[in-house]
Amino acid sequence: MTAPALAAEGLQKSFGALEATRSVTLAVPAGGRHAIIGPNGAGKTTLFNLLSGALMPDAGRVLLGGTDVTRDGPDGRARRGLARSFQRNSLFPEMTVAAALMTASAIADGGAAAFWRRFDRDPARADAAAAIAARVGLADQLGALSGNLAYGAQRQLEIGLALATRPSVLLLDEPTAGMSPEETRAMLALLAGLPRTITILVIEHDMDVVFDLAERVTVLDYGAVLLEGTPADIRTSDVVRRRYLGERTQ
Amino acid sequence: MTPPASHSRHAVALLLAVLAVGYWLASGYYGKELVAETAITAILAMSLSLLVGQAGLVSLGHAAYFGIGAYALAGFGQKLGWPPALAMAAAVAVGALLALVVGWVAVRLAGVFFIMITLAVGEMIHAWFLKDRSFGGVGGMSGVPRLDLSGIGVDLADPAQFALFALAVALLVYLLLDRLVLSPFGQTLRAIHQNEERARALGCPVGRYKLAAFVVAGAVAALAGTLAAQRSAFVSPELMTWTLSGEILIVVIVGGSGSLLGVSAAAALWIGLRHQLSTMTDHWMLAMGVIFVVLVLVAGDGIDGALRGLWRRIAARRAARRAA
Repeated sequence: MTAPALAAEGLQKSFGALEATRSVTLAVPAGGRHAIIGPNGAGKTTLFNLLSGALMPDAGRVLLGGTDVTRDGPDGRARRGLARSFQRNSLFPEMTVAAALMTASAIADGGAAAFWRRFDRDPARADAAAAIAARVGLADQLGALSGNLAYGAQRQLEIGLALATRPSVLLLDEPTAGMSPEETRAMLALLAGLPRTITILVIEHDMDVVFDLAERVTVLDYGAVLLEGTPADIRTSDVVRRRYLGERTQ
Repeated sequence: MTPPASHSRHAVALLLAVLAVGYWLASGYYGKELVAETAITAILAMSLSLLVGQAGLVSLGHAAYFGIGAYALAGFGQKLGWPPALAMAAAVAVGALLALVVGWVAVRLAGVFFIMITLAVGEMIHAWFLKDRSFGGVGGMSGVPRLDLSGIGVDLADPAQFALFALAVALLVYLLLDRLVLSPFGQTLRAIHQNEERARALGCPVGRYKLAAFVVAGAVAALAGTLAAQRSAFVSPELMTWTLSGEILIVVIVGGSGSLLGVSAAAALWIGLRHQLSTMTDHWMLAMGVIFVVLVLVAGDGIDGALRGLWRRIAARRAARRAA
């Protein structure tokens, strides 16, 4: 049996008296699409930070492809193939789209350490960056400054930076946050079109996105796993409807 | 922040060098000293530009590496009697080593804490050389040897020739640092500067990159220090005061922090103005301060930004005329 691409085992994290994450266990198989939902304050962001390495757990383990990465920081996990997007756009504002994507790929494959070659004279890397830009719908914006892009385009670049690292596991933190319905549809098509060589874990508020994209859904409540199942299971679950879906439709 | 690779930058570098050589030709003994001083200040400013303009690391203790380079040359070259070339190389290595040790701690700190620790370490080193008698304490130490280039027909004991030598070293440092700034490594420093959290999330060992930049800057500052010690054949704790660190930081900001040529031009302006104003008034420091404040207010991006803006305007006007 092959190890899951991403796994959490008994993750535990407290901030003072607040137990933000309570023995969370989950496993995403290679190529899987997994979503985490839950009401505000359920501990989604804390779990995301524990998985990405921004926070260290009090107890429990994080495994990438069967390797324990619990002690690795965000950069170490990224070098093992984990990429993340940010809920609030986190870009290189003074770089063009092309330069930002090239920078991301150089950082990811170790090319960034070269101090004698010219960064801007690397046709292979520039082509790869253009391909990523095309994939996220920014082909005609390669020369635009990241900081000057429209909000929706910045969200697309947010995903593009993560993809430029050629990840095996992609963590998405509310990829459609703040987007218009059309932009959301475009983003969904983008995510649906990603190859199965990439395992995806997404935290999302938008139920349509979750049910559209995910094969498995984990419902968090008060920092613990309330339920895990297929989107159909979640939709029909009484306990989820009471705790979460019902509250939203009221 | 510099957008990489303006095609005309080497032409501008050549122009600056030609201006310096022209001044060197036209001036008397003191003018040649000014050329040497400018070249040395430009090297020091370019080394700090790598930290401030590329990596976003504002150091207020950069004179320490300058001073250590000077003292190390004095120690190896005079006290231990090593050949000057070897002593110079060793002094640069000492500067790099000091930067490695200080940077190991400092790059973990952000913003004002980084400024404070670089300042504190700089002051500690300054204080040590003030007290320590083996290097002359507050009075300093004279008799620092100069590099022997008689093999290629250059007599560095001659101040005029030494000035040209310092200028050549400055040009070499510019070419090396320009290469570094435009490399993937330089690009990654800018990425860290713009968004450290994102760089880390992409897999960048941010601390290691900052440390590498800190070490390179320390080594180049030490190189400038070895030239300063040779120029006056003298070292003193004056070479590592925090006011010198502050002055160099001002030069870097006025030049346009990420532009090697901008900060070099600012170094020339700094040395030239200081010389001119100090002959005119006792309050030359005040006058310099006013001039530099005005410069920063008029051109927020420094000399580099102002010239780029001027160039864009000329190009736009030319394009408009062609269209008409």
